Amino acid sequence: MVTVHNLYIFDRYGTLLYYAEWNRLKQSGITRDEEAKLMYGMLFSLKSFVGKISPLDTKEGFLYYKTSKYALHFYETPSGLKFILNTDVNAQNVRELLQQIYSQIYVEYIVKNPVCNLKEPIKSELFKSKLDTFIKQYNPLK
Amino acid sequence: MADEVSFEFLHTELVSYVLSSTEKDKKPCDLSTLEYIGFSAGYRIIERQTKEWPRFKDELETMKFICTDFWTSINKKPVDNLRTNHQGVYVLQDNAFRFLTRLSNSRQYLEVAPRYVAFTCGLIRGALANLGINSMVTAEVQSMPACRFHIQVQRT
Repeated sequence: MVTVHNLYIFDRYGTLLYYAEWNRLKQSGITRDEEAKLMYGMLFSLKSFVGKISPLDTKEGFLYYKTSKYALHFYETPSGLKFILNTDVNAQNVRELLQQIYSQIYVEYIVKNPVCNLKEPIKSELFKSKLDTFIKQYNPLK
Repeated sequence: MADEVSFEFLHTELVSYVLSSTEKDKKPCDLSTLEYIGFSAGYRIIERQTKEWPRFKDELETMKFICTDFWTSINKKPVDNLRTNHQGVYVLQDNAFRFLTRLSNSRQYLEVAPRYVAFTCGLIRGALANLGINSMVTAEVQSMPACRFHIQVQRT
């Protein structure tokens, strides 16, 4: 059982394509745009830092960070799409979850959708509802 | 299946190419080119598909073939419902039309749905034409992804 707090999807140019929250109890105090820029910039620096400081050859690079209250998971596709998921501390197999979100929901309902422009924020309601259904099956019922 | 996806992407590009080339000079959203492309394709496909079949008993048998074998070979599923008034009007209902399933589940994007069914209207018309049935095929989309194709047989 994984508690999913929220999800960010960025394209390879840093545009926030989608943001959704299911369980966010505290807001960051800055606007959505600023938060997205901060998130993207931070992850860019983290990825680069992780690669540089690594004492061995990096395979996948930065995967996630954990605090005592939440964990932030990061998944980047070969096409440069970045999926960021905030979950509870004890979540297992989140990388697999992110991969499923990409292949079963993003590719199915956005890439294969003829009207969706891949460079613009996502507006498809079908995508939103499929994503909600998918995440709710992991969230514990309140 | 890899080939299913390539046909869908090809269809998407076909629609946007036809629409972008007609938008420049003529009135916007001219779908007749798309319909004609489908007509030619359907005309030839049906020749290949029925090469081993005997002649159809009557019009209704032909329609049933279109709903089952023809539709399954192209869309990987048969038509969900066929209705007729026995006087030359047939309605084919597909509850999950393959080009609409990824568009939306509700009324979002309803205004662009016609362009993604034009090719298939032509396909049906072409297939029927080569089987000896001249018709007019239109499509009606009320709530995606379900789609209804209205076939009006033209008897001279």
